[in-house]
Amino acid sequence: MLEQVAVGGFVVLVLAGGVMAAWMRHILYAIIGLGISLFGLAGLFLNLGSPFVASMQILIYIGGIVVAIIFAMMLSIAMTVQPLERNRPKVWFAGLCAATFFGGVAWLLERTEFEVIPPAAAQSWELAQLGHALLNRYNLVFETLSLVLLLAIIGAILIARQERTS
Amino acid sequence: METLPLVLGTIFAPLLGFLIAILLLINCPRVAQTVVLAGSALSVAGSAALLIRGPVDPVRFLWFTSGDIELRFGFLLDGVSLVFGVAVALITFCVMVYSLGYMSGDPSRTRYFAMLGFFAWSMLGFVYAVDLLQSFIFWELIGLASFFLIGFWYEKPSAAAAAKKAFLMTRVGDVGLFIGILTILQVTGDFDIPRLLDPDLGLVGLATPAMLTAITLLIFLGIVGKSAQFPLHTWLPDAMEGPTPVSALLHSATMVAAGVFLMARLFPLFMAAETTRTVILCIATFTALLSATMAMVDRDIKKVLAYSSISQLSFMLMALAAGALFAGYFHLITHAIFKALLFLCSGLYIHHLETNDMEEIGRRGGRRMPFATIGLVIGGAALAGIPPLGGFFSKEEIFAQLGRDGFTVFTAGAFAAAFLTAYYTFRMIFLVTVPERTENGEEPTDHGEHGSHAGEPWSMGVPVAILALGAMVIGFAGPRIAAMLGVRPEEHAFASMIPAVAVVLAGVAVAWLDFGRGSASPQRRGFIARVPALHTLFSNQWYVDDLYRAVLVRFTNAVATLLHAVETRGLDGGFNRLGLGVLGLGVRSTRVQGGWVQFYSGCAIIFLGAIAFYIGAR
Amino acid sequence: MTLHGYLLLGLVLFSMGLFAVLWRRNLIAVLIGVELMMNAASLNIMAFNHYRVSDPSTGQIFVLIIIGLAAAEVAIFLSIILNLYRVQREIDVEGITELRG
Repeated sequence: MLEQVAVGGFVVLVLAGGVMAAWMRHILYAIIGLGISLFGLAGLFLNLGSPFVASMQILIYIGGIVVAIIFAMMLSIAMTVQPLERNRPKVWFAGLCAATFFGGVAWLLERTEFEVIPPAAAQSWELAQLGHALLNRYNLVFETLSLVLLLAIIGAILIARQERTS
Repeated sequence: METLPLVLGTIFAPLLGFLIAILLLINCPRVAQTVVLAGSALSVAGSAALLIRGPVDPVRFLWFTSGDIELRFGFLLDGVSLVFGVAVALITFCVMVYSLGYMSGDPSRTRYFAMLGFFAWSMLGFVYAVDLLQSFIFWELIGLASFFLIGFWYEKPSAAAAAKKAFLMTRVGDVGLFIGILTILQVTGDFDIPRLLDPDLGLVGLATPAMLTAITLLIFLGIVGKSAQFPLHTWLPDAMEGPTPVSALLHSATMVAAGVFLMARLFPLFMAAETTRTVILCIATFTALLSATMAMVDRDIKKVLAYSSISQLSFMLMALAAGALFAGYFHLITHAIFKALLFLCSGLYIHHLETNDMEEIGRRGGRRMPFATIGLVIGGAALAGIPPLGGFFSKEEIFAQLGRDGFTVFTAGAFAAAFLTAYYTFRMIFLVTVPERTENGEEPTDHGEHGSHAGEPWSMGVPVAILALGAMVIGFAGPRIAAMLGVRPEEHAFASMIPAVAVVLAGVAVAWLDFGRGSASPQRRGFIARVPALHTLFSNQWYVDDLYRAVLVRFTNAVATLLHAVETRGLDGGFNRLGLGVLGLGVRSTRVQGGWVQFYSGCAIIFLGAIAFYIGAR
Repeated sequence: MTLHGYLLLGLVLFSMGLFAVLWRRNLIAVLIGVELMMNAASLNIMAFNHYRVSDPSTGQIFVLIIIGLAAAEVAIFLSIILNLYRVQREIDVEGITELRG
C-alpha cells in the first residue's frame, strides 16, 4: 500500500515537473520543473530495483546538469528581462506534432503484448555485479564513453573559448 | 638476464629516447641526439642478446577482453623476428650515427632524432609483435613515422606533398590489410599469430579455401602498399624528398621491408593459398622489371636507388611466393644491409657535392671521396650480385628456388631483372667514378671548393665502413639464418650458379660498354637511348603517375560530358516547361524553407507518428 | 505499476519533451526538452530491464551511459549557447535562420 502511494507520488512528480519544464514561459521555472521531473524519475528507478542508478540520476543529473543549465541561463540572459512571448502558430504546430507522435506510438503500445519474465534474483542486482559487468563485458563501451567525455570537454573549451584579441 | 626485461628494453629504449628528446630537450639538440643514440645502442645490444639466446616461447600479456575476444600484447621471439630485429636495430643505429654528421647544421635536428627514435620503437614493436592487431597498430605507427620523416623539411612544398602521397598510398593498402585482419578474427576469433599459423587449429584448418584466398589477397594488398609494389609503387621515388639517412633507413632497409616481413611472418597462410601465390608472383615479377627499367634511365642517384629497392623487394616477394621462405628472407636481410650502405654513400656525395645528379657527381670529383666510393663499389657489387658479396648468395638462392619447377616465365623475368639490376648498378658506379672526358681527351679538373676531401667526418665514415663490412660477410651467414628459420638450405652444385653469374656479368659488361669506357662523347648514353620511345617511356616512369592523374580527371570530365549530352539532347525540350513550373513552385516553397529547424523536425516527427499508426494498424 | 504503465509514462514524458523542443524560442529551453526526452528513454530502458531481462546489469549500464552522454551533450550544447550569445546577443531560435533556403 505504502509502495503504491510512493510510486503514485513519483509519477505525479514526473508529470508535474514535465509540464512545468515544457510549458512555463520563464526559463528558471522550466529548469526547476526539469529538476522536479528528474527527481521523480529517480524515485521510479528506485522502485525498479536500482538504487545505484537512482542516486546517480540525482547526483549527476540534478547536481550537475541542471546546475550547469542554470549557469548557462545566468550567463546569457538577465533575470529581470521579460521572457519571450509565445509564438501562437508555432505552439499549435508543435502541439499537433507532439500529439500525432503520442497518438501513433500509444496506439502501437496498446496493440503490443509484452511477455514479462519474473524479476531477477536479488543478488544479481548488487552493485558489485554492476561493477563487474562494466569492467569486463562492457569494458569497451566504458572506455569509449570516457573518450567521448574527454572529447566533449575539449570541444566545449574550443567552442566557448574567448578569442584573446577581441 | 630474463627474456622479458631484455625484449622490453630492446623495444622501449628508443621510445624513451624519443619521449625525453621531444618533451624535455627540444632546445638542446646535442643532448637530445645523444639520448636517442643511447636508446638505439641499448636496443642493438638487447636484440643481439636475444639473437644469441636463440628462439624461445612467445611472451603474452592479456590487454583486455571484450566479449569472447581476448586482446593480447606480447612478443614473438622466433627466428624470423630475431634475425630481422637485429638487422633493424643495427641499421637504425648506423643511420643515427651517420645522421650526427649529415644533419649537423640543421636547426630542428632534435625533432629529426626524436622521430628516428619513434620509428625505431614502432619498427621493433612490429617485428616482435605476437598479435595481429598489435602488428597492425605498429604497422600504422611505422607509416606515421615515415610521414613525419619524409616531410621533415616540411617548408619545402615537394617534401610536404611527397609525405602526404606516401601516407595516402600506403593507406590504400592498409584498408585491405585491416579488412583481412578482421576477416581472420571472424573466422578464428583469435589474433594470436602462432595459433593462427597452426596447421590444424589455425586459419588454414578453419577457413574454406576461398576464404583463405580472400584473406591472403587482402593482406597482400597491405603489403603492396607498404613495400611499394605495382600499382601502388609511385610513392617510394617521391619519398626520396626526405633526408638521405631517412631514405637509407625507412625507404630501403626497414619500413618498406615490413611488407615482405609480414608475408614471411604469415608464410604458412600464403603457402596454403595457391591462387594468391600466383597473383603475387605475377605482380612481383612485373614490378621487378618495371622498376628496373625506370632505374636504367634516371639520373638522380637517390631515385635510381629507390627504383632498385622496389625491384629488390619484388625479388623477395617472388621468392616467398614461390615457396622459398629462406631465400626471400635471406635476401631481405642482405638487401637491408647493402641498400642502406648504398644510400649512405649517396648521402655522402649529396652532402659534400650538393647535387643528386650522377653525372654532376662524377664531374665534381666524386671518386676522390674514399669512403663513399669504396662503399659505393662494395654496395653496388652486392646489389648486382657479384660473388662473394652479400647479394650474390641470396639472389642465387632465389634463382635456385624459382628454377625448381622448371623454367617458367617467372624465372625468365627474374633473370631479366637481375641483368637489368647489374646494368643500372654499374651504370651508377661508372657514372660516379669514371669521369667523362672533355673534347680533347683530358680529364676535367675538379671544381674549386669541392676538391677538398675534409667533408667526410668520422661519424659519417664509420657507419659506411660497418655496413660495407656487413655487406661483405653477410653472405656467409646464410646457413646460420636458415637454421634460425628452421629451414635446411639445399646445397647447390657449382654448375647451377653459372647462369646467374653469367647474367650478372653480362649486365656489368654492357654497362661498361655504355658508360665505363669513358666514351668520347660528353653525353654518355645507355643502349636504351637508341630506342627513343622506350627511353621516353622509362624516363616518365611508364606514365603510371600521369595515368592516375589523368584517369581521375578524365573520369570526372567524361561523366560531366555524358550528363551534359543527356541533358541537352534528351531532356531539355520536354522538361523546359516542367522546369519552369518547378522553378515557380520552388520560389513559392522557399517561404516554407525559412531555416526554422523546429519546423523541419516537426514535419519529420509527424511522419514518424504516421508510420507508428501504420505499423500499429497492420 | 505494470510494464505498460511505465512505457506509457515514458511516452508521455517524451511527447512533452518533443513539444518543448518544437515550440520553445529560447535555446536553453530547447535543451531542457531534449533532456526530458532522454530521461523518457532512460525510464523505458529501466522498465524493460526490470520486467524482461534476466541479467539486470545490462540495462543499468545502458542508463549510466545515457547519463554520461547527456553530460557530454550538455557541455557541448551550453558552450554553443554561450558562443552564440556572444556573437548574436540573443538565443532566440527564430533569429537563427542560417539554413534559410
